[in-house]
This record gives sequence, structure tokens and C-alpha cells, in this order.
Amino acid sequence: MALVLGIETSCDETAVGIVDGRKLLANVISSSVDQHARFGGVVPEVASRAHLEAMPQVIKQALNDAGVNLKDIDAVAVTAGPGLIGALLIGVSSASALALALDKPLYGVNHLSAHIAVDQLDSDKKSVPTISLLVSGGHSSILKVNNLATDVEVMGSTIDDAAGEAFDKIARVMGLGFPGGPVIDKQAQLGDPNFVEFPRGLTSPADQSIHQYNFSFSGLKTAVARYIAQTPDHKKADVAASFQEAVVDVLLSKSLAACQESGIDNLVIAGGVAANSRLRSLASQRCEKLKINLSIPPGNLCTDNGAMVAALGSMAIAQGIRPSQIGLGADSAASMSRVIW
Amino acid sequence: MSTVLALDTSTSQSSVALVQDGKVLFTKSHNDSLSHAEVLPKLVSQALALNNKVDLVAVGMGPGPFTGLRVGIAFAQSFALARQINWVGVCSLDVMAAAINQDEFIVSTDAKRKERFWARYKDGVRVTQPAVGKAEELEIFKIPIYKEEDHFPDPVQLAKLALTSTAVTQPIYVRKPDAYPLPAGVKFRPMSSMDLAVAISIEKEVYGQTAWSVDQFKEEFAKSPKSAQYLVAEFEQEVIAYGGIFCVAEVADIHTLTVVANHRRKGVGRELLKRLIDWARVKKAQAVMLEMRLGNDAAQPLYKSFGFTEISKRENYYGPGLTAVVMRKELK
Ligand SMILES: [Zn+2]
Repeated sequence: MALVLGIETSCDETAVGIVDGRKLLANVISSSVDQHARFGGVVPEVASRAHLEAMPQVIKQALNDAGVNLKDIDAVAVTAGPGLIGALLIGVSSASALALALDKPLYGVNHLSAHIAVDQLDSDKKSVPTISLLVSGGHSSILKVNNLATDVEVMGSTIDDAAGEAFDKIARVMGLGFPGGPVIDKQAQLGDPNFVEFPRGLTSPADQSIHQYNFSFSGLKTAVARYIAQTPDHKKADVAASFQEAVVDVLLSKSLAACQESGIDNLVIAGGVAANSRLRSLASQRCEKLKINLSIPPGNLCTDNGAMVAALGSMAIAQGIRPSQIGLGADSAASMSRVIW
Repeated sequence: MSTVLALDTSTSQSSVALVQDGKVLFTKSHNDSLSHAEVLPKLVSQALALNNKVDLVAVGMGPGPFTGLRVGIAFAQSFALARQINWVGVCSLDVMAAAINQDEFIVSTDAKRKERFWARYKDGVRVTQPAVGKAEELEIFKIPIYKEEDHFPDPVQLAKLALTSTAVTQPIYVRKPDAYPLPAGVKFRPMSSMDLAVAISIEKEVYGQTAWSVDQFKEEFAKSPKSAQYLVAEFEQEVIAYGGIFCVAEVADIHTLTVVANHRRKGVGRELLKRLIDWARVKKAQAVMLEMRLGNDAAQPLYKSFGFTEISKRENYYGPGLTAVVMRKELK
């Protein structure tokens, strides 16, 4: 089995994971989220500075947790895109240095595919082909995965905000803080999800032709902001629950339609928003009804992490895919046609 | 035998050298401001092909455009970690200066946004901290200015300096991130007449004899909200700063900008100033002016960093012997 060290720096998490084949050995994450809370969003320059500072310590901690030496590593994997360019480059440069210094192969991998690959860790399930709903502060996509390392197809994605971003923005409007996902989830547990019927974006019959699997959250955001402004005595919990229900409902409806249309009975939900409790419970209800195998990685592997990068690198090695070239660089807008660089 | 791997990405150029006991085994540079991450590993790989054993990594710590600069530093620290050797940072301007033989000169590199990073040298020693500023500001010294076009940081010099100079452990950013982090919990809102009492007590505390009186504040407040904007910053329900700007024609005038002593240097004044200037832009002002008491050293760098320049002095403006400095910033 190959021992792979994976580095992830596409947004505000400096993360290093180590896997041995499919076995997870270490998953260390250092986040600059506290520094961003002041702005209610990620500031690229702040994130890049934090990555550079945190990197050596995060690598050391991961090696320590895994109980291995750098000399034992068989390959280095790194997120090469998509993401914030300045942030990605810290990871790619560090990974290139490790690979050269250790004389080991380097695998540049696609961040989105890595989010799904993490589901294969510590299991022997064969969950391909699968439909994957990838939802976080940076992405909201429905992917059709035939082979995680070579064949991933985007069926749809958001045409405006990412789902996690919608949570952040609504939390800001409601004065609940940043990041928005956890605070809204918590508020919503005390509220009525059917209290207000907020719009479900791109679900009208007219939208079905071109936007069948695409998402839009900007209309929902406006509707919630307007409701709050016009209803001075609104209950925060009810608004949070109703907003969350609108997001979760549309995410699942479209993902399950994708499963049915493509005849694939596996669904993997990944990304930071997969930690949302309502998304989890509604997904398991609906999947059970439709006899679709649902898989959601544990919470700490859903948000951005290095283990997912190592997992995808490890899969590439298992499939005999050739390593990336030294000097691969980073591609902030990488498409799914590039899974391994 | 000791071999130094030296790398610098503080300018548009990526440079690598491998130097063994003073003997240059490899040196190569490539000029492309957008591809440090692609070029640097390739050059290092070529160097290692000649001699794989490295005892020390030397890296240019800038100042330089951030994204490229960090590529080199990230590489150096991870390479050293993997090989279990040390890495040493050196000021990149010092590396350039080491190749120049002159009594007194300035070394300056492109900082983008029409600015230059620079430092001044005398008798082979740097006599100023690395700084960033407009190109014209450097002409004032009337000494030779060397730019990277003629003197890119030479990695061989870098390898040499790494053995002798004091190590630089942090990247030399000079500039703060654009969105300067605010202390958590600071909120901004328009100032109201309810805030007057607090503002006046802060005025007295900060400005003593030259503080605005209640009447002066009231007079400012009587101005139409269309032509004036007053804001306060609050922390834990307490006013910690306030500022006001006035605009009737093309020129907006900042009337006051005050931060209480124990909340200074945290980015509150910066954010307040930014908001006042943003308001002036909305009002389609062509320029913003302000008067500052001469010797108000704390505030001057803040205004300068926003592009305010001194245009005149007004003697006795704040009272006998108290000179006002008039500063102006063009809005485009
Ligand atoms: Zn992600």
C-alpha cells in the first residue's frame, strides 16, 4: 500500500492528511477562519499569509499523528485547483519542495474530486458510479462520477452563490455571525421549517430545460432579507428553519433527480454543508424511500482537509496513473476535465 | 564541505543557485512574473541533478509582490523540513545591494500599483527599513537608484549572505493586507446627537485645549446630512472612535477623525477613514482634504498610506505655536 501525504490550501484551511492506501492515518487542519470572522468572508491575502505560517507545523503534526517519517512517504499529493490562486500556490510550492527533496512522485489533484474521494477512506465499498452533491462555502455542484481519478462529469452547479455562501450571507443579515452554516443550523432546530414558504431557485418548469441540475440562491437570499425587513417581530428560529428548508429541499430534489435520470443508485454528499443536520436527516429519509445508497463522510472529512487530497492521490497510484510533472503550478479555475494534473 | 541552495522569487524573476564552499555549481534565472511556481521547482530539480546533497537553504524574504514571494519561501521551508536541514531568510534588497559598489544608493523594486519597494544603503550597509512608496518619493534623496531591471537579486550573492547576515524569519510584506483585520466586535454606525456627550469627553481627553466645544459639534451636526457624514465606531456598546466629513462642491473635507487611546493601532481609524472616503466618492468629490496637527506622528502614516500628501502648513491654526498640516488626496 502506498503511503501518501496530501496537502490542501485552496481556501482558508491549511490542511495535511496522510493515508496508507485506503486507511486514514492523520488529518490535521489549521484554519484561519477566526481571522476572517471579522469580515464575514474569506480574505485571500489573509488566508495566504496564514497558510505560509502554518504549513511546517501542520506537516510535522500530521507526521506525528500518523507515526511516520517523511522518508517513509511514497508520494505527495496536493490540491492544484480550483481555489484561490495565492492560497493554492502555497500548497503546490510546499508539495513540490517535499517531492523534490524526498525524490518522490507528486500528484496535483482536483479539489472537487478529492471531496468525493474521501468517502472511500476506511471502507471497502465500491461506490462508483455515483452521483455526488458537493456543497460548501465555495462550491455547489452535482457531479456524475464514473471513476474518481479519471472520469468526473459536472451535471450542474450554482449560477450565483454557493450554498455555504448563502448560509453566510443570511447569517449576516440575521446578525448571527460567521461562518453561517453552524449558527443557522443551531437556530433552525428551535424553529418551524414550514413557517415561511421561501422560493426554491430554478425549479420552475421553464427552468427545467437548461437549469435542471443548476442551483441559484440569490433570489432566496433577497426573499429572506425582504421578509426580515418587513416583519419586525419575526422569530429568528422560524426564519432560519424556513431558509434552511428551502436550501436543503432544492439541493436534495435536484440530486435525487440526477440519480434517477442517470440510473445510478449511489449518492455521496460532501463539502462543508454536508455537516448540516437537516440536510443529513432529510437526505436519509428521501434516499431510503427511493432505495438509493446514501453516503456522507464524517464531519471533519466533509470540510476542506488534506486527507481527501491524499485519498485521491492514493487512488491515482492504485490505478497506475502517472505522476504530475515538477512545476505543475496551480489552476484557480480548474474544470473537472482535469482530475489529476 | 557545505552546499547552499539559494532561491529568490521576490521580483518578476525566479532565481536558483547551488554554491559549494564558495564554488558556484549552478546558477540560473528565469524572468516571468506569473510563473514562479512552475519555474522554481524546475530550476531546483536541474540544480539537484548536478549535486543532490544540500546543507542549507537560503531564500529571499522580499519585500516583493506577495504571491510570487511566498512561492519561494514556502518552497524553502518545506524543502528544509524534508531534508532536515536549516533554512535562512535574507532581505532581497540586501541581495541586490551586495552587487553594487557605491558609497550611497537606493535599491528599489516594483511593488505594483504604481509603487516601489525600497531601502537606502550607505557604505555597504542598509540604513533604512524596507519600505513602499511612490517612485517620486525616492527621487528626493538625489542619490543613485538601482532597480531590478539592472540588478536582479543574484542567487549566488544570496547564498553568500545567508552565511554572514542576520537571518530574516518573517516575510517582509511592508504592506498590510487590503482588508485590514478589525478587532472582533467593532461596529460602525452613523453618529447621532445622543453621542455628543461621549464625543466631547473623548475630545477633551485626546486634544486637551484644542478640543471642539459642544457648540462646535452642534454646528457641525446642524449641517444637512446630505452634505456631511458623521460615523462612530463602537466596541462593547462603547464609542471608541468617531469621524466626520463634509462635502459641498468637488472637494470633501475631513473635519475630525479620533480614536480613543487604548483602541489605537488596531485598524479602527483605518476603517473609519476608508468609510469617510467612500462616502466622498459617492458624493462625487474630486478630492479629500484634511488638517492635521504638526507632530501628530501617529496619524501621519495612516493618511499617507491612503495617498494623502502634504500640500501646505497653516501656522498657529490650532492656537499659538500649533501648526496645522494640510493634506490632500485626489479621488479618481
Ligand atoms: Zn472544498
